[in-house]
Amino acid sequence: MPLGGIHMTQHIRGFARYFALAAAAALLLLPLATFAQTSSSSTADRWLHVRVVSSDGRGETVRVNVPLDLAEKILPAINKERLHSGKVRITSADCDGVDIKAILEAVRTSKDGEFVTVQSNDADVRVAKQAGYLLIHVTDKSGKHHMGHHMHKFDKSDDGAEKNEKPEKSESAGNRESKVEVKVPMKVVDALFSAGKDELDVLAALRALSASGDAELVSVKDDENTVRIWLDSKNVSE
Amino acid sequence: MILLAKVALGFGTTLAVAGAYTFREGVIRVDVDEFRQGGSHLHMWVPAAAVPMALRLVPKHHLHCASFQAREAMPVVRAMFHELRNYPNTIFVEVTDGDQHVRIATEFGKLAIDVTEPGENVHLRVPITTVEDVFTQLETAGLQSDIRDGKDDDKDWRN
Repeated sequence: MPLGGIHMTQHIRGFARYFALAAAAALLLLPLATFAQTSSSSTADRWLHVRVVSSDGRGETVRVNVPLDLAEKILPAINKERLHSGKVRITSADCDGVDIKAILEAVRTSKDGEFVTVQSNDADVRVAKQAGYLLIHVTDKSGKHHMGHHMHKFDKSDDGAEKNEKPEKSESAGNRESKVEVKVPMKVVDALFSAGKDELDVLAALRALSASGDAELVSVKDDENTVRIWLDSKNVSE
Repeated sequence: MILLAKVALGFGTTLAVAGAYTFREGVIRVDVDEFRQGGSHLHMWVPAAAVPMALRLVPKHHLHCASFQAREAMPVVRAMFHELRNYPNTIFVEVTDGDQHVRIATEFGKLAIDVTEPGENVHLRVPITTVEDVFTQLETAGLQSDIRDGKDDDKDWRN
């Protein structure tokens, strides 16, 4: 074999060896890299879900899934009216002269327990602190009375069509009660009021929210709609 | 014969490379179907890479105008689409109302908007990177316009 041919064969062999090594390394590392990428994006993400289900015949449903990371990145970019750099400016007039920060400070430093309990014909209200959560439960019964007025109106009418509607309305009137349940981690509340006196730090609240565990934050149920706002690590709503 | 084969190979390779370059950023897909008499049926596939190129051909004053109008929303949109790249397959909004259905999602790195109702279907797929490119170009056009206006102001001031 001529000398040039031997050199060429050695070159090709050397190249083939390096190529085989590189290919083997790539094949070995690629799945690991992909796995690392997948796991980092799936475990760290926290999702805020909103679901509104209408109980009418059309089956209207709204589902919103927001990654908290996304919200945290976008919020500082919004500078409009009262919202600047993730903070909302509030005035004392917005709170009807009530010093909310002082009230929250009192709630924060106090032990677990019920702070407000109101039971009336119109509504039941309960505000409590329990296991690091601020709980607000409201049961609004005013709709029942409101429907009662409508029923009187139908009674007075002589129109046949309206009389036909009466039994249906009176049936729904009994269930016309709305329930609102809010459960917010105290850390989130603290973060919200951590900015200056006249500011709400929404960005800090979002960060605190993403650090907290899975929780159902808001639940509203009435005879027309069911609203749920909750936090978990899944990127799809249930 | 061999020469002809070489020419064909060269032509084929050029076509393949050109195709790969044109479609490297994916495809923008628009499907509109109106289910009524005389309703339009539009099915459009556009290489996403063509959009930033086409923007370069748009007269600058139009770009400046668009940039000025979108100025307020620009930082939000940029931040949003930059982050959306981290969520390549996600449903963000889904609304169902009887026969009507609206869905805003990302599918394989594309922004997907679907509107379905009895009389009309609209499906849109746009690569997120393309939207980012478009907004970057708009932003650049706005900046250039600002710089130019600043120079003009200087000129006025000197006069």
